[in-house]
Amino acid sequence: MTVQMTMAPNLAPVVTIKLAATSDELLQSFALRAAVFMGEQQCPYDEEFDGNDYTATHVIMYVDGEPAGTMRLRWFQSFCKFERCVVLRRYRGLGIHHEINAWCKEFARRKGYARAYLHLQKRHMPMMEKEGFRRVDDRVFNFSDHEYYAVYCDLAPVEGAVALDTPPMVVNRPEDRMDIEGILEKSAARGASNPHAPRVERLTN
Amino acid sequence: MSTIPQSIDGEAVTTRLAMRMEDSMQAFAVRAACFIGELDVPYSEEFDGHDFGATHIIAYVGDEPVGALRVRWFQSFAMPERLAVIQRFRGHGIGQLLIERCRMLAESRGSNMLYAQVLPTDVKYWEKTGWRRLIAEEASSGAKRIVAMVRPVDPSKPLPAAEAPESIALRREAELDASGLPLGVVSN
Repeated sequence: MTVQMTMAPNLAPVVTIKLAATSDELLQSFALRAAVFMGEQQCPYDEEFDGNDYTATHVIMYVDGEPAGTMRLRWFQSFCKFERCVVLRRYRGLGIHHEINAWCKEFARRKGYARAYLHLQKRHMPMMEKEGFRRVDDRVFNFSDHEYYAVYCDLAPVEGAVALDTPPMVVNRPEDRMDIEGILEKSAARGASNPHAPRVERLTN
Repeated sequence: MSTIPQSIDGEAVTTRLAMRMEDSMQAFAVRAACFIGELDVPYSEEFDGHDFGATHIIAYVGDEPVGALRVRWFQSFAMPERLAVIQRFRGHGIGQLLIERCRMLAESRGSNMLYAQVLPTDVKYWEKTGWRRLIAEEASSGAKRIVAMVRPVDPSKPLPAAEAPESIALRREAELDASGLPLGVVSN
């Protein structure tokens, strides 16, 4: 006799978010931005890839394993700046931009930041108000053919956020997995042989 | 229409082979804009694992990267693919410029055939620019089929009638990779 199981298939998409930590993941982030900003919004290449990509943190979001969204974060003393947020067209309407926003807020909190700041296309104000963002002031400015507001959101302090008294080997962990032992802690098992190569005298001739 | 542009709105139109990381990045960005942004191709299909074994040609209007073409090299043919031109720069012959640069590159490497896989709706366009179907029309019919097309690198030296069996030429790229050897080369 066979037992028949009737189970509703779980159709909810599986969303995973992580730091872009390899060159492949970085390329995925860049490709998504090119798709949306250059492909859909006619942004010129030099404006989209503005010189800040190699001084920033990139976050990548997957839906069922496929790159679906990204965000760029830059770090200033008094705030974390959220930038270049995209969700690929085919993944819109699932509300997953909330997930990447929430992930980035949490990420910034754990790094000790008390404020997130971003430049918001005017049309997205109602959406971001729901996420706790308010306008910094009443300035409206424009770049790359869109009108923007400067908006910010206060982040509640979180216990265990990185500070000077955080154990040094915790600070060394991959930043999106700071609660798990990192590769350098494993290396500590090798002890400290202080393996400097001897200095080789250079021939000046 | 098939004339190759020298400039658009006073900006020089040029092509360049990708030599540095940033050049490749520009080629990838143009393709992402067109294939992922416009045509809704999934990332994993667009960036299929062949990008670091290929040559990338980029077209510029002034300093702006506006077109890209990937060329893969086989013993018996050069294969231009992933041809993309940013939407607002279309209609100027930039695609032809990229194909011509590919042809010249293939010529300089001693290749005598270009091979491409094109959409059935685009076949007429390619035929106007010196390409022909690899095999007779009837055999590769069907609405969604990709059509294999070839053209001689040197227009004055027409290709012999049959060059490669379609089953090999159209092998999926993932399968090409699976053996660790590009099978298309061996059997061709």
